[in-house]
Amino acid sequence: MIDQFLYQNNIIETNTELQADYYEITIGENKYRIEEICGGKYEVEFNGTKSTVCCVIKNNKSFIDIDGLLIELGLPGDDGNNAGGAAGLVGEKDKIFAPMPGKIVKLLVKDGEKVKVKQPLVIVEAMKMEHQINSPSDGKVKSINFSDGDQVDTETPIIELDIE
Amino acid sequence: MGKGLFNKILIANRGEIAVRIMNGCRLLGIPTLAVYSTVDKNAVHVRTADEAVEIGPPPPNESYLAIDKIIEAAGKHNCDAIHPGYGFLAENPRLPEACEKAGIIFIGPPSDAMRLMGNKVESRIKMADAGVPLIPGMKSAGASIEQFRDAAGKAGYPVLIKAAAGGGGKGMRIVKKAEDLQASVEAAKREAKNAFGDDTVYLEKYIEDPRHIEFQVLADNHGHTVHLFERECSIQRRHQKIIEETPSTALTDEVRKKMGEAAVRVTEAAGYRNAGTVEFLFDKNSNFYFLEMNTRLQVEHPVTELVTGVDLVVEQIRIAAGLEISAYVHKATQRGHAIECRIYAEDGENNFLPSSGDILYYEEPTGPGIRVDSGVTGNSVVGVEYDPILAKLITYAPDRDLATAKMINALKDYKILGIKTSRKFMIEVLGHPEFKAGRTYTNFIERYMSDRKIDFDAAAEMAAAVSSAAMMKSSKSVSAGKKALMPSPWQTIGPWEIGRSISK
Repeated sequence: MIDQFLYQNNIIETNTELQADYYEITIGENKYRIEEICGGKYEVEFNGTKSTVCCVIKNNKSFIDIDGLLIELGLPGDDGNNAGGAAGLVGEKDKIFAPMPGKIVKLLVKDGEKVKVKQPLVIVEAMKMEHQINSPSDGKVKSINFSDGDQVDTETPIIELDIE
Repeated sequence: MGKGLFNKILIANRGEIAVRIMNGCRLLGIPTLAVYSTVDKNAVHVRTADEAVEIGPPPPNESYLAIDKIIEAAGKHNCDAIHPGYGFLAENPRLPEACEKAGIIFIGPPSDAMRLMGNKVESRIKMADAGVPLIPGMKSAGASIEQFRDAAGKAGYPVLIKAAAGGGGKGMRIVKKAEDLQASVEAAKREAKNAFGDDTVYLEKYIEDPRHIEFQVLADNHGHTVHLFERECSIQRRHQKIIEETPSTALTDEVRKKMGEAAVRVTEAAGYRNAGTVEFLFDKNSNFYFLEMNTRLQVEHPVTELVTGVDLVVEQIRIAAGLEISAYVHKATQRGHAIECRIYAEDGENNFLPSSGDILYYEEPTGPGIRVDSGVTGNSVVGVEYDPILAKLITYAPDRDLATAKMINALKDYKILGIKTSRKFMIEVLGHPEFKAGRTYTNFIERYMSDRKIDFDAAAEMAAAVSSAAMMKSSKSVSAGKKALMPSPWQTIGPWEIGRSISK
């Protein structure tokens, strides 16, 4: 069975074969031997090392815990923006989203302004804390969709950039 | 203990700390009443309590901070005491005052001691008078930017801007150079206003490479004040603690004794009762400076409990009931080593941005010397309304190396899906050579963790492999793998009949 997953705008293609009592998964050159221990919990053998990994699939996304590191993968049909989660790390680099629903405390750039990577763009307040969102790359501010004091969700970009 | 120090205790909090306090009440045979906002209807603290009552909509002002609703619930349900936990109303002197008016015991300090310590400016003056060492800085809150400029010039950069009503890192800013001062004062004021409703901020000298070391104290109404040694809480992100331990690797017995005595002096000078924590900044030359006193049970209290064997919640309830501090507390020593990791709903791989959503999978680590204080379980919904702490993981072992190793394993075994946490990040902190060497300063994360590299591509590939197995499993039903490998005992014992000896 061939499956495709989306991670940071890259597609990972897997080939799964069901063996007698385990799954053999091939990704490129790599082979993984996987057994289910109990609901949602799997024993993974890769390169001679075993680890216990948890995985739940929900809402067209796969959530995986590997020794405390959480990975989210998009499944086919996902629009791709969700895979990997919060803005800045992954997803479209030209759109700046709020990490959580919150309030714009202060916009630190102006329309048309040139910005450098890691330059602070906006301060958003969420969960009673101020969060500074930095530019993911060099570029120019294409549009600013909110003003200071506005409520924001995580769906509408606060700022859109022209990436250089 | 006899029956009933109190008739029933109302826990004016939610999450892990409400559950922790309820467990303490249960030890003493005291029934508990949970209060909850509408979003917390199915929360763990509601299920843990003997009784629960809804007190309003999700915004804290209309539920967990609504003193009148809490007092009313206490009256209606025959509660004769209220425990505030930490956060919310824990350091608001209006709650103990309202309790007094309603004839309810507040499990915490008297309102005047709380009010004094809640004002970071006034408390500094009082403690300076009591002979407790302080960090150089403003004697009172700054009104104009010129005052801040002046004070910063005298103390010398870098300086620290702090909220007078503050705590928990909110309204706090480090300023490294003069041109950043104004913007930082403004930001600190905004944050202070939002967090505490008071935008008063002040300035002091910023001590470089400091440790945050605090002392647990207990004081009863019979003239006893004791300290239960230190907790080192130097591992912080955004000035908020994430990893705490005791004993501190920095203290000699001599310094520990001096700091403990200073902590007792602070407690007595404030007229303090019940459990509290005296925070110190500790510099490279073993100088210590009084920072503030937290007039509540601390998030990190479990490490003290594991190393001293004292149940702090039980002592809080006993003291509030008018009893003396338990006799065994006076003999408490530090035995072994304990570490706590805070499990926050935040993304350790992306600047600790808060995370919210449904918990899709939840499994706690277990084993000797592993304690989990949790406010969530499978299917819990983590919203954006409240403090993002989900749980605390605490390990205990004979020495620091073993406690650290146990913590790393426990963090790996703690499985949470659906919400991002900093488990991986904390595993790397604990495994860092500088942490192992005990060189923990409050800038540890900035200094050692900012250039950490994670092989996300390898992790994503393994994640895709496991997802593939999960997808195939959901499309085809597969018999459990282990079954075929392990012969059933029924297959190995040969023919037999019920009621007859097998050997026959």
